[in-house]
Amino acid sequence: MTKGVLLFCFDTADTKYHSILERCVRLVKKNLKLPITVVTNFKTFKKMKPMGFINYKFIEPESGNTKLGKEWNNVDRHMAYELSPYDSTLVMDIDYFCFTDNLAQFLDTDYDFLVPDTAYDLTGRNTFDQRRWSMIPMVWATVLVFKKNHKVRKIFETVKYIKQYYSYFTDMYRVYSKNLRNDYLFAMALQQINGFTGYNKLPLALPTLPPDCEVVKITDNGLAWKYRDQISYVEDQDVHVLNKEMANV
Amino acid sequence: MDIGELKKQSDLSYDIAIAKRNALEKATSRMIVVYDEHIFCADPETINLVKNLMEVHTSSFYILDSNKNPVEISDPSKFLQVLVQRNQEAISSYHQMSKTFEKKND
Repeated sequence: MTKGVLLFCFDTADTKYHSILERCVRLVKKNLKLPITVVTNFKTFKKMKPMGFINYKFIEPESGNTKLGKEWNNVDRHMAYELSPYDSTLVMDIDYFCFTDNLAQFLDTDYDFLVPDTAYDLTGRNTFDQRRWSMIPMVWATVLVFKKNHKVRKIFETVKYIKQYYSYFTDMYRVYSKNLRNDYLFAMALQQINGFTGYNKLPLALPTLPPDCEVVKITDNGLAWKYRDQISYVEDQDVHVLNKEMANV
Repeated sequence: MDIGELKKQSDLSYDIAIAKRNALEKATSRMIVVYDEHIFCADPETINLVKNLMEVHTSSFYILDSNKNPVEISDPSKFLQVLVQRNQEAISSYHQMSKTFEKKND
């Protein structure tokens, strides 16, 4: 059975996502030691430094989505099933930095589809309590693990269906944010396809740095950030960085 | 102690508290372990349960994984070893971090 990591990366006018990808790939190679496939476009690919052996899949990202008024090319995650060349796939946001090998083991379970439903705020402010922002418990599609089989194909078909009628579903679930977020897309799909019952989850709280934290240093073992006038750091712990200015660090 | 010194001490204590909280979360994440294609938490509860079940069922027994799905444990000794090893790896790392926090507070 083949297994590997699938990453999506598209530069925008405001953010050099390829710089973030380069750091992400280095950490995946060092800590997860898994084959990597990057889904990108030629425009972004041309700016990437050589990163060793990587499989590339070229698509043009669907445009139109925004975050805080800026271009946000995040709406192609629903194609992960078709784009992955692996039997068992770990899909990760490229701003999720694997400073540990924790995620690798989840490719060796007998679960078909796993997603975490909790994020852990590294600044201690619990800013990711999303209950008041929708009527559906959110998942964090930052990290997904799936196998290729009939059941998972149906999950992705449901994701595509909800994406097609996203405004209807956001109204129905009273989701506060109107832009497309994979977190809600997958949460809705999993609830619908599972007959409004529960589903299996990754028992991880994703360590996350809120967008108001400025990353000031990144090494191969961890990173440091500034929040107000305080500098903090973590080492040997995975981190999901929401402030995209780190592309310039 | 003047107000400046109090603020400095308070900020230091806050920094240490956050760092300690993050170190504990790091240990908790590390305790998540995949065994025989199922996910478990190598926490005291799981370790104690396995140890107790082993006293009665030496060859195999059934427990629930992190998603409450039943799993047959056919090699209890090996499973216990994996749990203890992962638990101690996580706690030992937390212990080392803890020592650095104590020094900061001196």
